[in-house]
Parts: sequence; C-alpha cells; structure tokens
Amino acid sequence: MEVLKEKVEEEEAAEREAEAEQAARKAAEKEKEKEKEKEKEDIILSQEELLDLEQKLSEIEVHIPEIPVAFTKSTIDTSTLPESYRTNTAKEELLIQVADNFSRQYAHLCPDREPLFLHPLNECNIPKFVSTTVRPTLMPYPELYNWDSCAEFVSDFLTMVPLPSAIQLPEYLFSPTSVLKYQKGNCFDFSVLLCAMLIGAGYDAYCVSGYASQEMCLMDLTREMCPLLKKPKEVIEEKEKVIPKKYAIKPARDLRSKFELAQQAKKEKEIKDAEEKKIREEKEKLLEANKPPPDPMHGLRIHAWVLILSGKREVPESFFIDPFTARSYRTQDEHFLGIESIWNHKNYWVNMQDCWNGCKDLTFDLGDPLRWEFLLLGTEKPYLSLMEEDEEEEDLAEDDDIENLDKEDENKNFDMPCSWVEPIYISPKDFETRSPQGKKVIQYKQAKLEKWTPYLNDNGLVCRLTIYEDVDCLKPIEVREWYKNREDTLEMRQMDKVSNWTTEYFKPGHFLALRVHTYKSMIPETERTMEFYHKARVDGLVKRTETPRSMTEYYEGRADFLIYRHIDYGPRSKKFSLSTAETNPRPMLKITERFNRNPEKMADDDVAERIFVVSDERIQLRYHCRDDYITVSTREFLKRNEVDNKGNKIIMTPEMCISYEVEPREHTKKLLFQYEMMMDLKNEERLSKHQVWESEMEVLEILKVREEEEDTHNLTVSIYDTKRNEKSKEQREAMERQAQEEHMRQVEAELDYLAPFLVQLPPGEKLTRWQALRLKDECLNDFKQRLIDKANLIQSRFEKETQELQKKQQWYQENQVTMTMEDEDAYLTYCSQAMFRIRILEQRLNRHKELAPHKYLALEEKLYRDPRLIEYLKVFV
Amino acid sequence: MIRLYDTIEPNVIDEELLKLAVEEQGPQEAAGQVAKQEGINFKDVKSLQLDFQNILRIDNLWQFVSLRKLQLDNNIIEKIDGLESLVNLVWLDLSFNNIETIEGLDTLVNLEDLSLFSNRIAKMDAMDSLVKLQVFSIGNNMIDNLLNVIYLRRFTYLRSLNLAGNPICEDEEYKLFVTAYLPDLVYLDFRLIDAHTRELGDAKYQYSIYELKHRENQIQAKLEEEQATIAELEKHKAAYVEYLNGPFLFDSLYSEDVEAAKLAYLPGVPELLETYKTKFVEICQNIFDYGLVQQEKRKAEVAIFYECLEEALQENRKQGLKEVEDFDKTYTGYLHTIRNSNDIHYVDNKMSECAEEISRLFDRLMTLEMQLVEQLEETINNFERNIIDMVGVFVENVQGLMAQCRDLENHHHEKLLEISINTLEKIVKSEFDEDLPDDVRALFSDKDTVVNAVGASHDIHLLKIDNREDDLITNVTSWCTATVDKVHNDELDRNRKRVKEINQYVDHLQSDLDNMDFGDLLD
Repeated sequence: MEVLKEKVEEEEAAEREAEAEQAARKAAEKEKEKEKEKEKEDIILSQEELLDLEQKLSEIEVHIPEIPVAFTKSTIDTSTLPESYRTNTAKEELLIQVADNFSRQYAHLCPDREPLFLHPLNECNIPKFVSTTVRPTLMPYPELYNWDSCAEFVSDFLTMVPLPSAIQLPEYLFSPTSVLKYQKGNCFDFSVLLCAMLIGAGYDAYCVSGYASQEMCLMDLTREMCPLLKKPKEVIEEKEKVIPKKYAIKPARDLRSKFELAQQAKKEKEIKDAEEKKIREEKEKLLEANKPPPDPMHGLRIHAWVLILSGKREVPESFFIDPFTARSYRTQDEHFLGIESIWNHKNYWVNMQDCWNGCKDLTFDLGDPLRWEFLLLGTEKPYLSLMEEDEEEEDLAEDDDIENLDKEDENKNFDMPCSWVEPIYISPKDFETRSPQGKKVIQYKQAKLEKWTPYLNDNGLVCRLTIYEDVDCLKPIEVREWYKNREDTLEMRQMDKVSNWTTEYFKPGHFLALRVHTYKSMIPETERTMEFYHKARVDGLVKRTETPRSMTEYYEGRADFLIYRHIDYGPRSKKFSLSTAETNPRPMLKITERFNRNPEKMADDDVAERIFVVSDERIQLRYHCRDDYITVSTREFLKRNEVDNKGNKIIMTPEMCISYEVEPREHTKKLLFQYEMMMDLKNEERLSKHQVWESEMEVLEILKVREEEEDTHNLTVSIYDTKRNEKSKEQREAMERQAQEEHMRQVEAELDYLAPFLVQLPPGEKLTRWQALRLKDECLNDFKQRLIDKANLIQSRFEKETQELQKKQQWYQENQVTMTMEDEDAYLTYCSQAMFRIRILEQRLNRHKELAPHKYLALEEKLYRDPRLIEYLKVFV
Repeated sequence: MIRLYDTIEPNVIDEELLKLAVEEQGPQEAAGQVAKQEGINFKDVKSLQLDFQNILRIDNLWQFVSLRKLQLDNNIIEKIDGLESLVNLVWLDLSFNNIETIEGLDTLVNLEDLSLFSNRIAKMDAMDSLVKLQVFSIGNNMIDNLLNVIYLRRFTYLRSLNLAGNPICEDEEYKLFVTAYLPDLVYLDFRLIDAHTRELGDAKYQYSIYELKHRENQIQAKLEEEQATIAELEKHKAAYVEYLNGPFLFDSLYSEDVEAAKLAYLPGVPELLETYKTKFVEICQNIFDYGLVQQEKRKAEVAIFYECLEEALQENRKQGLKEVEDFDKTYTGYLHTIRNSNDIHYVDNKMSECAEEISRLFDRLMTLEMQLVEQLEETINNFERNIIDMVGVFVENVQGLMAQCRDLENHHHEKLLEISINTLEKIVKSEFDEDLPDDVRALFSDKDTVVNAVGASHDIHLLKIDNREDDLITNVTSWCTATVDKVHNDELDRNRKRVKEINQYVDHLQSDLDNMDFGDLLD
C-alpha cells in the first residue's frame, strides 16, 4: 500500500509538473521568438523571477520534441469518410454508456488511478469505444502472415508522431484507415493497426495502454546496438562426459614437481586476474559514460504497444511488441514500466495488479478477475487454469453480487458491436514502397541504418549500414551495403574504411560462379581473395588468394584429388617492349600442389604433395602416410640433363632420384620405373604451368567483367513482376486489346437481324406458319431494299462528284487566262483528288453490285437456318 | 603350307624366346635404353605377345605373375595348361590353335576377354570360375549342340559373344535361340542385336525360358536357405553350443544304443523315457541359451578391448606424426642454411647440430614407443585375466548343467533297472503276459544279462554326455588361448615394425646428411 501511495504521490507530482510544463510551453510558444529581447528584459526582473524563468526554460528544452511532426485532426480530410465514421449506432451509444458507467465505478473504487483510455474521439469528433477501432483483417500478402514481418511493416510504413503530451492520454484515436492513408501516427495508432493485422493473422494479440521508458516512447534507438551488428549467441555444446573405457590405457606418469606446477599456475592466475580486472573496469567506465541521463518523468510517460499471448499460432510464450521499432520484448523487460489496460476487438480489461516493479511481476491470465477486471461479461477468454474454474466462477458471482449488481444486469448478454472502421486495405504499390518515399533512416548506437525500396535506386541498393568509431557518428569505420535484383547477383558489399578492404558477396547464379570477392583495388596482381561456388565450376575451385608475389588456389571434389595449388612468382624480368601481364608473365619459381588421399591407390603410390621447383629444376614428392606408420615416403628428382665426361647424354642415373621409402619395395628401385615417373612428372609440370596461366587469365577476365558490371549495374525484373517487366506489360496490353476486338466482333455477330420484325408481332405468342413466311419475306425484302438504297446512295454521290468536277472544269476553262499559278495548282490538285474519289466510288459501286446477290443469298440461307423459323420453312427446303 | 606338311619342328617356350619377346615389346627409345641397361624382370611384365611362334605346348610362364594380357594366337597348341599362376590375366587370346577341350582356366578369375576362335572345341565347359567374363569368342569351332549355349547363362557380365562358324549356326533358330537365352548379350557374332530379333526370340522361347528361370530360381532359393542354415550353425558353433537347442544330444545318446531300444518294449519304459527326454532337452536348451549369452559377452569384451587398443594406437601415432613433422621443419631449416652458406666451419657446426637433432628425434620416438609398449602390456594383461575368468565361469556353469544331465541319466538308469528287474521277476514267475519280441525276451533269461544290458546302455549315455562336455570345454579354452596369443603376437609385431620404421627413417636421415657432406666437399 505504501508503495502505491508513493506512486500516487509521484503521479500527482508528475501531474503538477505536466501542468507546469504545459503552461511553460504556452509561454514558450508565445515568447520563443523574442527570447533574446526577453532575456535582456529579464536582467531587470527580480532574482526570483529570473530563477523561475530559468527553471521553466530548462524544462522547455527537455520536452520539446526534436522534430515537430504534427498529425492532428485538422490534417485529415473527413468529408470523404463513410457514415459509420461520423455517427454512432444505437449499440455503440449503449456501449459508450456502459463504458462511462464502468469508468465511474472504476474511478470510485480506485480513486488514485489514472482515468482509463476508453472512448477517445475519432477523426470526425465522435467518441468511439477503443475495442471497436480494432478491425481484424488478414492481409493478402503472405509476407505479412507472421508477427515479426507484420510488425516490421507497420514500423516501416508509418512515420512516428509523438503524443501531444507525453504523460497524458491522447484525446483522439484515429481509424487505422486514416492512419494508413496519411502514413503517420502516434503509438496508439501504431498499436491499433498492428493489433488488427495480427488478430487477422490469427494471433492472440492485444493493444496495451501503459507506461514505458523514455527511449521507448520517443523511438530513440541511439543507445541500442544495431540488430544487424548483434552477433548470434554461440551455442555452447555441452560435452558429454567421456566414460573411461574398460581397457583405456593409463596416461604416462607425470614426473614434474606438483608444487612447482601449482606455483606457476598461481602466478599465471594472478596476472590473468589483473588483466581481467582492468578490462572490467574499462568496460564499466564505458557503460557509465553511455548511460542515459536520468529521466525526470520516468514511469509517467504514456506508451501503447502490443501484447501477444501464448497459445494461438504456436506462440510458446507471451511477449510484447513495440510497434515503433518492431522489436519483441519479454514481458519482464525493464523498458515497460506499467500497464493500465489492454483491449482487443472483443473486450477491454483493466489491470488490477500492482506495477511497482514494472511489468516484471504481471501475469497475463485474463480469466482471473482479481488481476484483470473485464468490461464486458460473456468474454470468450477461457480461464487459463482449468482446475480452479468452478471456484473462480463462484468468486466472480459473489463479487458481482456484492459490488456490481447493476453492472452485471446491464452487461449480461451484451457483446461488442461491430467495428466502425472500414476494412484495412494496403495497395500492392504501397506495400512495395513501404516507407513514405521509399526511404527510411534509423540511428543506432554508433551506427546508421538506411533502407530503400527495391528498384528505387538504379544500382539496386536497398540497405546501407554505416558503423562509426565514435558515439557522435563522425568517423565511419565500416560501410555495409545490401543490394537486390542485381543482374550480377551482388548481394552485399562490405567496405572497411580503416584497412581499405572491400568485400563483395554474391548470390548463386553469377556466370563466373563468384561467391565472395575481397580486394583492395581492382588492379590485377594485387592482394585479393576470390571465393567461388565450387559446385558450379567444372574445376571445383573454391578459393583463390593472390598477393603480388604468389597465388594460392583451393579445390574441392576433383576427380584427380587436387585440393591445393600454390605458386610463388619471381620479380618480372625487365623488358623494353610494351610489357603487359599477358605478354610478359611473371616467372614462376615454385608450384606446390597437394592432393587428397585416393582410396584406390596404396598410400606409398599416392602422392600427397608435389613441388615443382622451377628455378632449381627439382621435383619433390611426398606421399601419403600409411595407416599405421608415422613416417612418409618421399622422392626427389633432379632433372638436369647432364652430359658425362665422354659427351654421351646421360638419360638416367641413380643420383637423379633420391627417395626414402617407408617399406622398401623392389620395383621402385628400378631405373626404368624412376625414368618413367620423371617423364610423367615433366609432363605434369607442363600441364600445371598451363593451368596456372589459365588461372591468371581468368583473374584478368573476372576483373574486367566485374568492372563492366559495376559500371552498368543492370537490374533484373522477375517475369512475374507485371508492373516493371516491360515485355510482359506489352504482351499483356496486346492481349487485352485483342480480347477487346474479339469482343466487339462478337457483339456485331450477335446482332439480331430478325429483331425489328419480331417486335411488330404480338409478344409471347407462337409464330404461325404464315407469319413465319411473312417474316422471312419481309426480312428479305427489307434487306434487298437496303442493298438497292446503298447502291443508289453510291450512285448519287458519284453523280454529284462528277457534276462538281464538270462544273469546276467548266469554270477553269472559262477563267483559265486570268488565273494565277496558285489557283491553277489548287485546281489541278482538286481535279486529281476528285478523280480519285470518283474512281473509288465507281469501284465501290461495282463491288457492291458484285457482292449484293451473294449477300442476299447468304441472308436467305441464314433465315432458313434460323432456329426460330426453321420449323415453318422446312417444307420449302 | 608349312603346317600342312608339318615340316618345321614345333617350338618350345624357353628363356631365350621369352627374353626376346619381352625386350621387343618392352619400352622404346630412351626408356628402352634404360630398361636394357638393367634388364627387365619377368615379374613386372604386364603384357606378352607370343604369336606365330609354332608353339605346341604352353610352358615356362610361371614367372609372369603380374601379366594382364597374353597373346598365344596362331600356334599349334593342343592343350590349355601352364596358365595356373597367371591369376591377374585379364585378356587371353588362344585363337588359331588346335585346342580340343576347354580346361585349365580355373585360376584365372580376373579374365574378362577370352578368345578361342578357330580351334577344335566341341563343347563349352569348365569355365565356371571366369565370373568376370565380358567378351567370349569361340567361332570356327565344332560346337554342334545348341543347348550348350545355356551354359553361358551363368556369366552375368557377358556382353559380346562370337559363335559364327560353328555347326550350330546352320540351325535356322540359332540367332533367336541365343538372343532369347542370353538376354544380357549386346553383340552376337560382332553385330549389335536389334530389338526386333530380341522380341522374336523372346516370343518364341517364352515358355521354355520361363521354366528354366523357375528352375534356376528354385536352385538359388535352396542354396540361400542352405547358406542361412549354415550361417546359423556357424553362429552356434562360435558359441560352442551347436546342436544343443533341441533333442539332438538326447537322440544321439540312443542312436548307437541297441540295448535301450530293446528295453523300450517293457511296460512303463516309454513313459519314463518321455519324461526323461523332456527334462534332458530342457537342460540342453538351458546350456544353449547360456552359451549364446556368454558368447555375446565375450564378443563385446573383445570388441571393447580392440576399440581401446585402436584408440591408444591412434593417439600414439598422432604424437609420433607430430614429432616427425616438427622435426621435418627444423631439419629443412638446417639444410637450407647449410646449402646456402660458404663457411666450412659454420657448415661443420651446423652439421653436427643436425646430427644431434636426428639423434634427439630418435630418442623421442623411441621413448614414445616404449611408453606405449608399457601401457599396452598392462592393458593386455588385464584383458587376458578378464577373458580367462570369463571362460572359466562359462566352463564351470556348463559343467554344472552337464552334471544335471548326468544326474538325470543316473536317475533314469535306476528306474529302468527297477522296471527291468520287476519284469524279470514277473517273467520268472510267469506272470508277465504281454507280448515281447524274441530278442527282447532273450534278455530276460537271467538277472546278469538284464543288469548288464541296462548298465551298457547307461555307460554309453554317460560317455556321450562326457564327450560333448569335453568338446565344449576344449573348444572354448583353445579359443581363449588363441585370442590371447593373437593379441600378444600382434602387439609384438607392431612393436617390431615401429622400431624398424624409426630406425630406418633415422638411418635415411643420417645417410642423407652424410651424402650432402660429401657433395659439398666436392664442390
């Protein structure tokens, strides 16, 4: 109780403070511009007033939001909103009455608690009960089916607007549809929207009205580590205790002095402890420095968030979601300082538990009426603890009997009215654009995160994370950029600003099978590492590391068991001609190749390492180790082709091959064997050199290709993306056009030629045969008439044209002498045009004459076939 | 012409011929020179060609153990022999000879390609061991029975067959028959078998092939069944309790016992026998079950011992490898400095350091080895003790159970004696009115005969039981000693091998160092 009292006192104090603050703000607004003048005036004012003012000013500075974003009723266009937004139904009215009643009783019973957030005004100034603002909607996007992506969407889509007063419940709660339309909202708007989407997706979600820390309320992440920088927790595998086996050998006896060992261990430990202590102290210092200044309104800042209870959608444990940052927190998290009430679309609960220790001790058993006071009876929420069901119900009945007699009567069988909000709708375009203008920036501790919508940047950049060395974010040490939809499958680029290393990560699908490329510069023969998708490559290359004087390649899954090749280069010989990498390659000094064990060969025949010392004309072989041996066979060839004293060429001498064999064998001693092996190796050396050369060429090509790609940076468009894919767009439009034309033709074809005649007959009666015949004749006659009319029409036009032409000609002949050149020209053009028209008309007439009988016959045929007339006309066929 | 008149003497495969052939067909040019210099060992020759040599008899080829390809075509060989030692042979060409029967190929299990073209063979036979045969050419021979082709069904890898020029080829159905009976064949007489021929053949010989297959399957199933029984029995034998899971032992008691059969005619004896049998079989079953359980235990014990042994060896090997590797690094460092330096004193200095390093490596490796030997000795002794204990317990328990058997036998014997004497008395008193065969009745002439007969039967039974018990105990004890001996011997071998290896390596290093010393001086 004492704690409660303290809290009440605190709250009262806070209220006073808030009033003071508001007053101060008003004053500040008025006098802000004239601050300087005022200060001058202040000097004359008395000491107390000065102090007072200073105090007020300091208060103002703390509480003015950094970016004053306004989202008030006035910015919303209410004229287009539907009727349900502007009025209350009878049921809603009743509900508000019930809520008022509840609120009065609540105020009576708990006089020292804050008023509840029950029915704020909506954008049309109509009080609406909060539960009815939640309209559960399942979004048509599969990406929004899970809570994390859903919360992320809401946090990206809306721009945060701080509450009008940090410690007072807002007066207004706008509908989610308006919030979506303007893409702005305070924490309550965020929560209601997210809650509606989550309930729609099947989660057991609730809006929570309560108190949270300053960082949470102001969406201040500058003290948080960027989630992208957090290292995944290392799973410590518990080593199974190895039970010493029955016949395990005993370790060799330790003959060292135990005392000395103990002394040494002690010393080492001391040093280590000292070091650790130092590190710890430093850490503490750092922590101290980063600690936020104490918040004067700690515990009073109002915030709204979302609670998801366990049970539905396989959620194993209840948790909170902060709608601003889309992060989930445990219900015991210290950022959440208290809960006043929670609600979903069905009911409203008031927290009756003490929040002196934040939300750490709260239980979320909503069926427990001692902890959670519900507003409407008949809630569907079952008791979580089934064992106590009967008891609790009795308790409940008693409580109601004694305390809330009338309320019970009223509330019985009263359920929540339907939501007044229109269904939440997000257009695909908005869904894709996400953030307003498609860009979002979040400031983390020593890091800045920028996000863009895909396709917004023409190089495919979607996300950039800049990591800074200092807290003030001035010296960048690393930049990471994520890309999407790039044709070169570049996924991420990491630039270390300190060491100047750039690392590029590629998705599978690049035609060079590149996976990772780390480099300092794009100039060939400098330090770089390339990793590949080795399964996409014929040669199974995994990684190639280069320095100016060496190249190392790692392979996997090759048929010849090669796993490693290392080349040492010497300095390039100087030539006066144009020396490029292609014409003047670096001389190879040494090629080292390593092989995996080939299970089909004996260990003594299976080469493990092969070194071609090019400069020394030596070849060294090291074989694999046998299973039960500790030494390995080696062989060394000196391939100098010497000439003996007599000038004869020495083909092979025993000195040219020095070998050590684990188990001496007979056939390997033979010179023939050694000679053949040496020949093979010479061949292999040639091949290896060639492969090295090919590798060098490949590097050059990759670098070229990469540069080109970086210059053009084309983006790919999925064929399913109907908006961006030009080709498919064209195709679709063509198809649509075609469909329309087809439709037109069909409409034409369906014109009923009998309709005008059928209308004349009495409707609904059956045709007689005589009527049918007459109908047919009429129709045919009519058609004939039309054909003749048309012919006449063409003829009359023809005649008219000819007459006019004749007139013109006449006129021309008469005035030919007096005419200017222009007039003559005009006359000539007219003549040719008229002649053209006349000829066309003539052609038309001829064609008409030709076609008319066919058309007539066709119609007759059609009439005989007509289903309405067929039975009467059959006889004549 | 030559052959017709047989004017030239048949040739013999001798050293000279072989040498010539090997040299001619061996490596050429530079490699040839080298080869000539040091001579070629017949053991290493991979392929040999002895065609058109007028050879009558295959001989003197036993040295060519690694031979893979042998051509003996166009000779006058009459009999296949002398190829037994050429087990690696993959390709054998015996075409254009005078061979009459297929023989002497039993050891050539790796043979894939066999040509017997143009010989005088009448029947395909004696090739059961050539399981890898892929190409078989037996054209221009005297095979006249089409059914002989069925013999080739056992070669599952056979893909190419040449039968052209045999009497059977004149048969109209020859092609269809062969394709139908050899469904895996791809080439017949060097021609691809087309699908049409195959269809025709299948349709024609559908039923007979079906029957054949059925028979083959039956034989196969029977074989498998037999193998399964044998495997089961092997398992029991390994536990030394074979034939104890049933009335086998009991039956064997009576199998050679004539007297018991006679006595069984007495009234009351069959019932007695029945109860005796059930009890006896029960005890046998007990022994059997116990034996199996013990066998499992012994197996597990041995397995865990070998597991631990392996672990210890691997651990030791790892350490050894590391030592060698470390040494290798320092050693190459030394060599490098020695090679690159000019100062003779410095070189000398370094050389001696190097030699010291080598001896230090030797010491370390030997210490490791000695340590391991000590550790293993202790473990092995431990194992030996345990396994002997285990076997002891097993033997003791089996003896106890066997004693129960003997008790049963004694009890039975007493009962039987009682009945016999009663019967005798009845017969003497002429009260016995049941029919008995004459030879049984003859037993009951006087008391001694009866008692002797019963006693003989008893003795036989006891002897059998004793024998069985002895068998079991000897077997299990000998297993025990064998196992323990093997462990000891293996360890000894391993130790010797490792010591030899270390010595060899160190010697090599030492000589390497000395050689270099010599070379430097020359420079």
